[in-house]
Amino acid sequence: MDQTQTVEGRGSEKLPHDLVIVGAGPAALSAALYTSREDIETLLFEKGAIGGLAAVTDWVDNYPGFEKGISGLELSEQMRKQAERFGAKIELGEVQKIEDQGKLKKLTTTEGDIYAKTVLIATGSEYKKIGVSGEDEYYARGVHYCATCDGAFFRDKKLVVIGGGNSAAQESIFLTKFASHIDMLVRSSLKASDVLIKELVKHKDKITIHLNTTTDAIVGQDGKVTKVIGTDKNSGQKVEFPTDGVFVFVGLLPNTKFTEDSGVELDERGFIKTDIHLMTRVAGIFCAGDVRSGATLQIASATGEGATAALMIREYLETQERGPLPQPVVGHPQLY
Amino acid sequence: MPKNITIFTTSTCSYCPMVKRYLKTKGLPYNEVNLEDHPERQDEVFKASGAMTVPITIVTKQDNTQEVVIGFNLQKLAPAIA
Ligand SMILES: Cc1cc2nc3c(=O)[nH]c(=O)nc-3n(C[C@H](O)[C@H](O)[C@H](O)COP(=O)(O)OP(=O)(O)OC[C@H]3O[C@@H](n4cnc5c(N)ncnc54)[C@H](O)[C@@H]3O)c2cc1C
Repeated sequence: MDQTQTVEGRGSEKLPHDLVIVGAGPAALSAALYTSREDIETLLFEKGAIGGLAAVTDWVDNYPGFEKGISGLELSEQMRKQAERFGAKIELGEVQKIEDQGKLKKLTTTEGDIYAKTVLIATGSEYKKIGVSGEDEYYARGVHYCATCDGAFFRDKKLVVIGGGNSAAQESIFLTKFASHIDMLVRSSLKASDVLIKELVKHKDKITIHLNTTTDAIVGQDGKVTKVIGTDKNSGQKVEFPTDGVFVFVGLLPNTKFTEDSGVELDERGFIKTDIHLMTRVAGIFCAGDVRSGATLQIASATGEGATAALMIREYLETQERGPLPQPVVGHPQLY
Repeated sequence: MPKNITIFTTSTCSYCPMVKRYLKTKGLPYNEVNLEDHPERQDEVFKASGAMTVPITIVTKQDNTQEVVIGFNLQKLAPAIA
């Protein structure tokens, strides 16, 4: 490790970064805090919001250390500042490709090519689209995926929320701050936690839950969404929900497209496989947080994995300096 | 350098600080309009962008032409401020 180097001037083949982290969500920021505090020169690349999905979450009640809970945006700000305090640098841009060149990893980014001794993939996941007619046509003009960003446009308006998991429940509750009424369309049954279901029930004057209801089309007129057409699966009848806007929360897709030619192995759902040291199939490329196969999809677990990955990266860098590249643990059930 | 940059934001939007951070790294000044404090300007944003979302960044160039960038979209924002 080059303890005296700063990020400036780093990233060439001759003087690669010690660590490049793809993403700047909770897993990445936690890893960066650990590595930069240990003088491992660390650069993060973020294409969206620093803080990742935590930053778009209205309120976080289950991250330890905050008795009364904390807003996701504030928690993200604190994590960013803490990592930057120890010297981590965050670049705004997207990593488009990773190439394994043995001791070096080449990253193609929107800001140019860079080289690193190690890479941590902490890219989390993004909202899935539902795939019905009208969804693309009214994107950001009545069809939305981020309640904390776009909810304020629906003050005293009617809304439809699609989905029945934790995100749909949590975001519906947040949207009651603005909307006059919310129809929540749930394809089968509610999959949200008991705590969130209790909260939904508390808001029953504003939120009506329609179980076993599919969403078939989003319809509009004069450039504005006017209704959602669905099917009540119990009766087989078409149902219509007049609305001013639609928020879609039907699950998440892992952000792994850029790993396509890297040698990193994915599971059948597209999440990245690692060994017990959070190393992927490629020596020197690690993975932590929601994008990792088997992750438990919580901020606390993402930061925990970030910390673990950081310690494993430190060990890898130290061993690498002394001898041959440490390899992933063969025989680990997750990997092989 | 653009003549004026105005960013429409809300206080809960996580992509709004990203646009501000990006403009700061480029050394560009901007005006911010928080739509929670100025709900009367929502229609103006919708007319300019066709979108009901934040951040919306309106870049006015030296020749008074305008570019509207929806969300935190570096592929659009970078050329708009160039
Ligand atoms: C609505 C909602 C509510 C939630 N509420 C809670 C809660 O109350 N408590 C809780 O513990 N958890 C909650 N979660 C889950 C929590 O947000 C995630 O588990 C956590 O954010 C995962 O962190 P991460 O760092 O792994 O990934 P993310 O937070 O997803 O961050 C990944 C980052 O990587 C960036 N990225 C992706 N690809 C690239 C690329 N190619 N180049 C550069 N950057 C890239 C993304 O833009 C993103 O910022 C919630 C999630 C949602 C959606």
